[in-house]
Amino acid sequence: MILYTFMLIPAVAGLLIYLVPKRQMLWLAFGLQASLLVLSAYNFVFIINNGPIEIVLGNFTKVAGISLRCDTLAAAMIMLASFIFMVCFLFGLLDKFMNNLFIFFFLVLQALVMTIFLSRDLFNLYVVTEVSTIVVSVLIMFKKDSRSLYDGMLYLITNIAAMTFFLFGLAFVYRIFGTLDMDLIGAKMHLVEDAGSLAVPFGFLMTGVGLKCAFLPLFSWLPNAHATPSAPSIVSVILSGLYVKCGIYMFIRIREMFLPALIADDLFLIIGIATGILGFMLAIGQKDIKMMLAYSTISQIGLILMGIASGGQTSYYGGVLHVLNHAVFKSLLFLFAGILISKYQTRDMTKIRGVFKSMPYVSIMAFAAMLGITGAPLFNGSISKYLIESNFKGSIAEYAVIFINLGTIIYFIKFSQIFRGGSPHGRVSVDIWKKAAVTIMGILCLLMGLTGTVVISNVFHYRVSLDFWGYVKNTAMFFASAAIGLLLYGRFFRKLEIINKGFSLELGVNGIGISMTLFFIFMTSAAYVIARV
Amino acid sequence: MQKLKEEKKINFINAQNTSIIIFFIGLYGLCARRNIIKTIIALGIMSGGVILFFLSINRTPGSMPPIFIGEVPVPADPLPQALVITAIVVGISVTAVALIMFIAMYHKYGTTNWVKAMKHRMERDKE
Repeated sequence: MILYTFMLIPAVAGLLIYLVPKRQMLWLAFGLQASLLVLSAYNFVFIINNGPIEIVLGNFTKVAGISLRCDTLAAAMIMLASFIFMVCFLFGLLDKFMNNLFIFFFLVLQALVMTIFLSRDLFNLYVVTEVSTIVVSVLIMFKKDSRSLYDGMLYLITNIAAMTFFLFGLAFVYRIFGTLDMDLIGAKMHLVEDAGSLAVPFGFLMTGVGLKCAFLPLFSWLPNAHATPSAPSIVSVILSGLYVKCGIYMFIRIREMFLPALIADDLFLIIGIATGILGFMLAIGQKDIKMMLAYSTISQIGLILMGIASGGQTSYYGGVLHVLNHAVFKSLLFLFAGILISKYQTRDMTKIRGVFKSMPYVSIMAFAAMLGITGAPLFNGSISKYLIESNFKGSIAEYAVIFINLGTIIYFIKFSQIFRGGSPHGRVSVDIWKKAAVTIMGILCLLMGLTGTVVISNVFHYRVSLDFWGYVKNTAMFFASAAIGLLLYGRFFRKLEIINKGFSLELGVNGIGISMTLFFIFMTSAAYVIARV
Repeated sequence: MQKLKEEKKINFINAQNTSIIIFFIGLYGLCARRNIIKTIIALGIMSGGVILFFLSINRTPGSMPPIFIGEVPVPADPLPQALVITAIVVGISVTAVALIMFIAMYHKYGTTNWVKAMKHRMERDKE
């Protein structure tokens, strides 16, 4: 019963708020979010103690019906979703754009995201993702600014094309297995005699999901969509903090489903490394704050992918933990960017100076997020990065994680230049709700760092322990990287013309279509080779 | 021998292979056309291919729909039809939304070309 609540309550409440356009309804929506958070926390504890819940809609059998299943991972993601939505409502309590139409779309998106986390039926997943694509593109172009119209349109077309790939893959899967339930398909997977016949559905499904997650050749839509200048900052928070994770979640599930017959982890490991490295290189070259944060998301997704596809349990849980951590610190950074843009009226990092003087409290919280994302000791990023590394001892992938982290440090050194200098405006006041939202996130960055391993051990029933000397080594590595980063930035990058002018890699619809085709061909042929060898 | 070859040829032109070809024709449109409306049409063609594929999978010759006539010797699989109806509805609504967005975009940019629209946006960005 509780599972229906997560999907229905936001949608019904959104409709109600749309029909009764009163400013007070915003408070109602916020109260609703708070109670959803409490409910999801209760659900989380219940599932840890009692095991997964499963419902089949309409009392059909599992083969024909649509099943909802909530296991520990889904419960954690649901808690994350209600938490981030609550913080967004808290942040926007006094903002003007929060009218009834906006709240309607926002709450519908929440209901859809919850359904993506719960649904175990592939076709249901397709429909929900398609609808959420439309809702997200409406949210991107909410202000009908000329730039956001293009970005929303690009987002819509590319993501729908990706979901058509997904639908075709799903049809192939149905032809082979005769059911669409992911658990049943996963259970029957070992019966497939010729794993080569799975290459085509695997390629189709992974192309669809890969574009949703923004893997290497398919990421070009992401900075446009996540960093549209005129979109409200809480939309960027939801997209970058939460909605990308829906793609990652689908990737985790589909990888699990194919695992008995087709293990393509090495392939994804390579894609993850390449995504991480290219992501930070492009992030260094940005002038626009939101653009830099969006490219940083791509780079962190590379890290998450490396963790999930490492083949080792510890790294896998490191990747899952990094999903949660990234949601927290990236949301905080986007909220911070939103405050900066509204106060300074510019998105250009080179023109913003003296932030620490003008808003010291918010700056301290932003520091917490920056320490988190760069993997500073005691903060949340350090734990998940340590866990991701732990299965790669001595291989190239370990150096790749360190290298990606070095890149992260370099672009955040560039970012931190905005704190320097005196403030021309004097103190800038930030309203109390925004401060509260930022504070919750900042404290959580530290808290998740202190309790990260305990959470993994108790929640997923998998013992991970921090080796003391290993952690000390990582801490030393962080300080060494920070020193190298400072040196490189001060001596080299700051003087480069191209870094100061800014550059980006932007593909149009045709380019994304071609990269999608190439990715599909590559994925299918690689899966075929892996299955045959 | 000649007859066998002919039969093979005819067997190759079945609904499944046709649907795959239609899908990739749509994909070609997505990759190669710069007109925004043609891109939306290409998406329609792609989903058309998928719908044909859904209708043709798991079909046994001589099967009948298991409704209205009581016992049926070979019942047809009803699930693909249900899926296809949903897929068609989703496809129509997506096309409608894309066209409405295109109209809004055309009013702002005055072009139906992706490349020109992108340039337009870049110029606005510099201001």
